[in-house]
Amino acid sequence: MSLRWKMKPTEDKILDILCYIFFVLVIFICLYPFYYIIILSFNEGIDASMGGIYWWPRKFTLENYEKFFTDSKWLRGLLISISSTVLGTIISVFFTVLVAYALSFKDLKNRKFYMTMIIVCMYFSGGIIPYFSLLRFLKISNTYLVYLIPGALNIFFILIGTTFFEGIPGSLRESAKIDGAGELKVFTRIILPISKPFLATAVLFIGVGKWNNWHDCTFYIQNNNLRNLAYLMMQVINSTQVSATAMEFGASSTTTTSLSIQTAAMVVATVPIMCVYPFLQKYFVTGMMIGSVKE
Amino acid sequence: MSERRPEGAVRRKSLFMKQLPLQIFALSGIAYLVVFHILPMFGLVMGFKNYTISSGIKGIFTSQWVGLKYFKEFFHDYQFPTLLKNTIGISLLKLVFTFPLPILFAIMLSQMPTGRFKKLTQTASYLPHFISWVIISGISYQFLSSTGIINSLLLKLGWISKPIGFLTDADKYWGLATVLDMWKETGWWAIVFLAAIMGINQEMYESAMLDGASRLQRDWYITLPSIKSTIVTVLILAIGNLFGGGLSGSNFEQSYLLGNSMNSRASSIIQTYVYTVGLANGRYSYATAVGLIQSVVSLVFVLVSNAVSKKIAGSGLF
Repeated sequence: MSLRWKMKPTEDKILDILCYIFFVLVIFICLYPFYYIIILSFNEGIDASMGGIYWWPRKFTLENYEKFFTDSKWLRGLLISISSTVLGTIISVFFTVLVAYALSFKDLKNRKFYMTMIIVCMYFSGGIIPYFSLLRFLKISNTYLVYLIPGALNIFFILIGTTFFEGIPGSLRESAKIDGAGELKVFTRIILPISKPFLATAVLFIGVGKWNNWHDCTFYIQNNNLRNLAYLMMQVINSTQVSATAMEFGASSTTTTSLSIQTAAMVVATVPIMCVYPFLQKYFVTGMMIGSVKE
Repeated sequence: MSERRPEGAVRRKSLFMKQLPLQIFALSGIAYLVVFHILPMFGLVMGFKNYTISSGIKGIFTSQWVGLKYFKEFFHDYQFPTLLKNTIGISLLKLVFTFPLPILFAIMLSQMPTGRFKKLTQTASYLPHFISWVIISGISYQFLSSTGIINSLLLKLGWISKPIGFLTDADKYWGLATVLDMWKETGWWAIVFLAAIMGINQEMYESAMLDGASRLQRDWYITLPSIKSTIVTVLILAIGNLFGGGLSGSNFEQSYLLGNSMNSRASSIIQTYVYTVGLANGRYSYATAVGLIQSVVSLVFVLVSNAVSKKIAGSGLF
């Protein structure tokens, strides 16, 4: 290392140092905001609203989390978010992968027509008003199904999946079929196990999309008992933004504010993502590459 | 289902029946698309009719035709110039500032020896991409409001005498939207460019080094030209999205979450307008018409940029 460093031209050394400074900045800028929210969530709300907290909670408390986990509104939102993310991701990934797999057969009859239809649906839509009317007509709007049915088929991942499955040698499928396995068996026993990079990418992205989704709840649900976590956080942000003096205190005996409970909610919503995405990194980098090299 | 049949029998069956399980997979997807994508497209006739929600779904087809009334109304609306300016302006600003940064970042990453520090930098840089705009606007509030950490730090240092209204000043909204987009997506887009850089033949660098090319010269004369087709593809993708919500499609979320009565002059865009007049105020026909204009124009952008991409880079999106 040090020998390599000594041998480098001065210009390279300067560039290296600049790069390292830039990288330290990137790490700081990307991580500190989340760190800051975490320390705020462990600080008394009224005290936090006076500012001056940078590195560590000043008046440590767990009250924000206590309030969050005992408030039925937040708790219900959290449960809806968890259940709809798990269920919605399973449905969407399963459906999407099945369609993508079928379309990966180059000799599939009517393939060209199916593909054209998918492309048309990808680039043109009726917009939110006709979509809302449809959901109303089907009695889906204002029910839990809003979290499961829109987006049950992910068009973008159909295209990525088709490219991915096309890359699996046909001989692999043929040999299994000669042994008498049906199409579904070939798919579950042979194709799925070797498709881990694609599946992991699809699960991560579709799952994160469901977890973060606040618009479906905003557009298609009016029932306040069906609000998910993302929507509830959005509500707090909207109400604090309008009143520039956001000093909405709770009951008199408390040290929390609506904003400080919000920081706890933000941490609860961020931690699952932080725990999952680093481990799926190697998959989604390949997944992105499949998407980008597609002809 | 058994495939062990005499050759002739298989051949006599039609291709469709032979592929029946696969056809069922594909057709279930197509059925979904017909119901949830194609049917709503027929709902677009609402934009040409005088539709009220009380007449139900049948009303879409029975209500009175009004021709282009709502389209004309939108073009004559006093908000139209503002909405158009914001829709395009924010996307353009994002294009200029958020597009080059990932390329630079990818080049820097590619020259760094593999190790923990590089891994940490990359992992940290993707994090914001996975976080929803709801949380990011919550964080923005904590950082940028008049009592937020940045204003209080600047006040304490004596650099400013009164808080800067990052979130409430209309003149600052475009900058705010662009900077947040840069923060959220730079690490993410860098993956695409980094993948392209990794595909460059290393021998080119070695022979350039023998010829005495400096590092910056190598970046300029080897790296950039080698990833040109990736750059062009992403650039065209971004141009195609100018009307649809910017490179990462974030215009609507930003405008909805960070827009408020004080900065709406700079933050309201066509998509938020459709939501407000349609779902919030219940003017279905008018909102459908405005939404249709938006989709048609963005479709034209996508098709044209795709055609240009095929011509220049030799590859398009479809």
